[in-house]
Amino acid sequence: MMVRRTSDYKAPGGKLVRVRMEEKNGEIETIRISGDFFLVPEDQLSKLEKMLIGAPLKARELKLLVDRFFVATRVKGLGVSPDDFVQAVLTATVVE
Amino acid sequence: MAVEEAIPRTVGKGKAPTTVRFWHNANTVVLGCFQSAQLEVNFDACKQTGTQVVRRFTGGGAVYHDAGNLNYAISLREGHPVIPKDDNLQLVFRRLSEGTVKGLRDLGVSAEFEPINDIQVDGKKVSGAAGSVRWGAVFHHGCILVSSDLTILGKVLNVSRAKLSDKHVASVQKRVTTVREELARHVTTFEVQDAIVKGIEECYGVHLENADLTKEELALAQELYDTKYSRSEWNLSP
Repeated sequence: MMVRRTSDYKAPGGKLVRVRMEEKNGEIETIRISGDFFLVPEDQLSKLEKMLIGAPLKARELKLLVDRFFVATRVKGLGVSPDDFVQAVLTATVVE
Repeated sequence: MAVEEAIPRTVGKGKAPTTVRFWHNANTVVLGCFQSAQLEVNFDACKQTGTQVVRRFTGGGAVYHDAGNLNYAISLREGHPVIPKDDNLQLVFRRLSEGTVKGLRDLGVSAEFEPINDIQVDGKKVSGAAGSVRWGAVFHHGCILVSSDLTILGKVLNVSRAKLSDKHVASVQKRVTTVREELARHVTTFEVQDAIVKGIEECYGVHLENADLTKEELALAQELYDTKYSRSEWNLSP
C-alpha cells in the first residue's frame, strides 16, 4: 500500500530540509526534497532524489546512498550536512 | 533574474570585469533554487497583492522584493584576491557582506553579519544573502530591506513552524526589520546604494565605476530569460 510521508527537518546548521515522499512496502517510491539550504553546484539535487528511489527507509542504507551522492558529485553543502538529508527522510511522518 | 545569472557566467569566462550590480523590482517573491513554490508561497495572498513569483539560481530562502528593497550582486572571477582561497561559501558570504555591513553602519544602522547568510540588527534580519561558486566565478547577492512593506512580506510567504522554532518569534514579520525602521527617518534606496558603494570601495580597496551590461551579458540574459526565467517549470516548480 502506498503511504505518503512528510517532514520539515530543521538541520543543526540552521537550514530547513523538507521532504515529501511516497513509500510502498518500506521503500521510497517518489521523493521531493526542498528547502532553504545551499548546495554548490546547484543542479545536482535531482540526482540525489533519483538515487533514493527504491531505497529502504533504513538509516544505514540511506546514509550509504547520501554519502555516495556527495562523493560522486563533489557537491558542497552549507547549512546542511549529508546526515541531515538522511534524518529528514527518516523522520518523515505518515500523512493521514 | 536572468541578468543575475548572465553576469557571473560572463565574468567567470573573463569577458566582463568584476561587477557589482544594484537593482530593484516591483512586488515579487524570489524563491531559492531548492525551494518548493507550493510549500513556500501563499498564492492567494500573491493574487490579492499583485505579487509575482520567480526563482533565482542560488540556494537559500525565499525573499519578498518591492520598490523599498535594494538588491546587490557581486561577481568576481575565481581566485580574485578579495575572495578566501578555498572558495568556502560561508567565508565568501562573510567576506562579501563586509562592504554592505560597512555601508549600513556608516548610515547609522548597527548592522552585523550573522552566519549563515544574514545581516542583522539586534537579532532582526535587515538583509539576506545567497551565492555560489560556479562557472569560474564567485557570486554573492543580497537584498536589503530599506523601506519594504513587511505586512505584504508576512502574507505572501509561508514560513514553516520548524523554521521559526529556534527564533522564539511567531511570525516572519517579527524577525525582520528595515533600514528606515532602524534610522527612524525617511531613507531612499539610492541613499543606501551610495553608502554601500562607499562601503565596498573602502572594504576591498577598489574603485567602482558606472557601466552598462556588455553585449555578451545582454545576449546571454535574453537567452536565459527565454529558456528558463520566463518559464513556470522553473519559477513554480513544486
